[in-house]
Amino acid sequence: MESWIEWARGPAFIFALSFMLLGLMRHFCLTIWEVARAVRRAGNKSFPCRQICIATLKWLVPVDKWKHEFLFSLTSVLFHVAVLVVPVFLAGHIALWARGLGVSWPAVPNLVANVLTVVAVVTAVALVIQRVSARATRALSRFQDYALPLVIAVPFASGFLVMHPAVNPFSYQAMLLVHILSANLVLILIPITKLSHMVLIPAVQLVSEVAWHWPPDAGSKLAVTLGKENEPV
Amino acid sequence: MGNKGKYSFYVEDKALEVTERPRRFLEAFAAVLEHSNYGLALDMYSRLSTKCSRCAASCQLYQSTGDEQDIPCHRSERLLRIFRRYFTRSGIFKARLFDRFTLTDAYLDELAEAVYRCTACRRCKSSCPMGIDHGLITHLARWLLAEIDLIPKALLVATREQLEGVGNTSAIPVPALKDTCEFLEEEFQDIYHRDDIKFPMDVEGAEYVFFPAVSDYLLEPDTLMGNAAVMHFTGGSWTIGTGNYDGINYGLFYSDRMMERIVKNVVAEVRRLGGKKILVGECGHATRSAWFVPTFCGPDAPEVVNFMQYTWERLQAGRIPLKEERIEERVTYHDPCNIARAGRITEEPREILKVICRDFVEMTPNRTENYCCGGGGGTVSIDEIRAFRTGPLGTRKAEQIRATGAKYLVAPCANCKKQLREVCEDHGLDEVEVVGLHDLILKLIDFGTEEDVADTADDESPAKQAESAEPQEGEVA
Repeated sequence: MESWIEWARGPAFIFALSFMLLGLMRHFCLTIWEVARAVRRAGNKSFPCRQICIATLKWLVPVDKWKHEFLFSLTSVLFHVAVLVVPVFLAGHIALWARGLGVSWPAVPNLVANVLTVVAVVTAVALVIQRVSARATRALSRFQDYALPLVIAVPFASGFLVMHPAVNPFSYQAMLLVHILSANLVLILIPITKLSHMVLIPAVQLVSEVAWHWPPDAGSKLAVTLGKENEPV
Repeated sequence: MGNKGKYSFYVEDKALEVTERPRRFLEAFAAVLEHSNYGLALDMYSRLSTKCSRCAASCQLYQSTGDEQDIPCHRSERLLRIFRRYFTRSGIFKARLFDRFTLTDAYLDELAEAVYRCTACRRCKSSCPMGIDHGLITHLARWLLAEIDLIPKALLVATREQLEGVGNTSAIPVPALKDTCEFLEEEFQDIYHRDDIKFPMDVEGAEYVFFPAVSDYLLEPDTLMGNAAVMHFTGGSWTIGTGNYDGINYGLFYSDRMMERIVKNVVAEVRRLGGKKILVGECGHATRSAWFVPTFCGPDAPEVVNFMQYTWERLQAGRIPLKEERIEERVTYHDPCNIARAGRITEEPREILKVICRDFVEMTPNRTENYCCGGGGGTVSIDEIRAFRTGPLGTRKAEQIRATGAKYLVAPCANCKKQLREVCEDHGLDEVEVVGLHDLILKLIDFGTEEDVADTADDESPAKQAESAEPQEGEVA
């Protein structure tokens, strides 16, 4: 068991983390590259930059988006806060970074981390329940839409049990292994599923606008490609 | 009229022949991805779409029908699915492994019905946490379908008339245009005793070349007279070009390829006359299409001005003489999606209305959040789907209008006006009068002949006379 844990938090973790970072960097760089290319090709290079920035910021900090779907919005925001804060700012995690790489940063108090961990698990389950119970989302949802919140909840639930041996009905080591392996899985899933929105979201409003800016003569060139340049309307 | 076949709208026979349509669709898709920038958005949307259904709550169609097919995200997924399967590496790879989805004729038929149920009002864009522009997807899907000839006939024949027929969507020949304008000039004489207010034709070097929705010449004499009066009193240098006098661009509704041709014709007419700016009349989609001028014609293309922007600037400067009286009846304002959704023209018309009306009330919600009239995206021109337009699509708008209790509903858009009149008719809102903004301005302009006006005001109004005039052949509203 001990060696499995060593493997999970050694080579497996390094692989998962690198996979995530490289994958996200690839998304980031490709997006910048593609946007730059689209802008270069566009006939009209003037963009409503202020509006794009406002729309982007409004969704990064969605304080005025409560109007409809209040419960869903609240659940979603709490979920996001919890899953972003706990893994990065948990004192136990920071200690591991300090031991391995010699870097550290301020931690959140353990009580806050405990509460947020519970919030993460509860909201993840709540998101799935809301998805199943609302007709519109049920009609839209794919397998991954149900699976991802639950997969994300696993490292949080297991982490909580690791931190609180008194309420852990399983062995400490088994729980630690589940915790590390499930966290590694989430890291790997990030760049290859919709979780990649964590780097793509800041660009999407810009992309939506750029897509309306076509290269000049796009239509006539398309007609030539399709052999329709002399075809009547 | 044509053949409906399996669709709810009329199509030409060509659309009903099944000839390798999926292959042709995919060829067109590949060509569009190559020549446009849509691929960038599709790539990102197909990764990001979270299926949260927040868009459902903002869609007036889904609010009415409750049919999951009408959820914007559900509709968009139809096209994203094709994109993922045929144009992404992972999709092609997965298809080899599992062979899950193949594009079929039936799938394209469903896509066509779905994208013509959407008015492309883009209200759902602001409610999508992932910033997905479902209106863009509807717009693109319609273009791709157009390349396999699947186009509502109403849009197609109007565009054919504009590009290869008489030269405009309502098939108004130049002599008829001149007659109409002369008739309106006579109206100024008869009603307001002014013989110096003109509709100038083919004036070279004019600052503004005027492009209203051409149907205004048939249906909206008061709007046009308001336009001419404003131009007269502000000393505006303007002209109507007899080479092209139609601002309507149905390309925006079904094909960027057609849109480009129509936009370039507009610019060519401005250049022929040596004009400087494109002055678009009261029309939402005509204005938005004209905003694409620099996209198609480069940065040196003429500037685009909407008539309401022109009027508000001059009204602020005190250049338009107004009578002491004001419009007493309650007035409300409908934001045409094409000019208001992105926040480009929302305040000018309101400022004008606040000056000329005593009782101006807002609809709720309004401006960038306003509900579509229900006839957006060219659906208003498809007469055979009227029951759908004024029913599921128009119900929310009818409720909004009723809640204001307004007598005048100002809608500065030819398409919105037609749709809103039908919505009011079908929802028993008989007391509501749908008008253009310049119709109201016309009522209040001080022509300096007040005492004479009182004598003749009871004469037939130009609107009534126009109604009794013979409709033009091949008219398309």
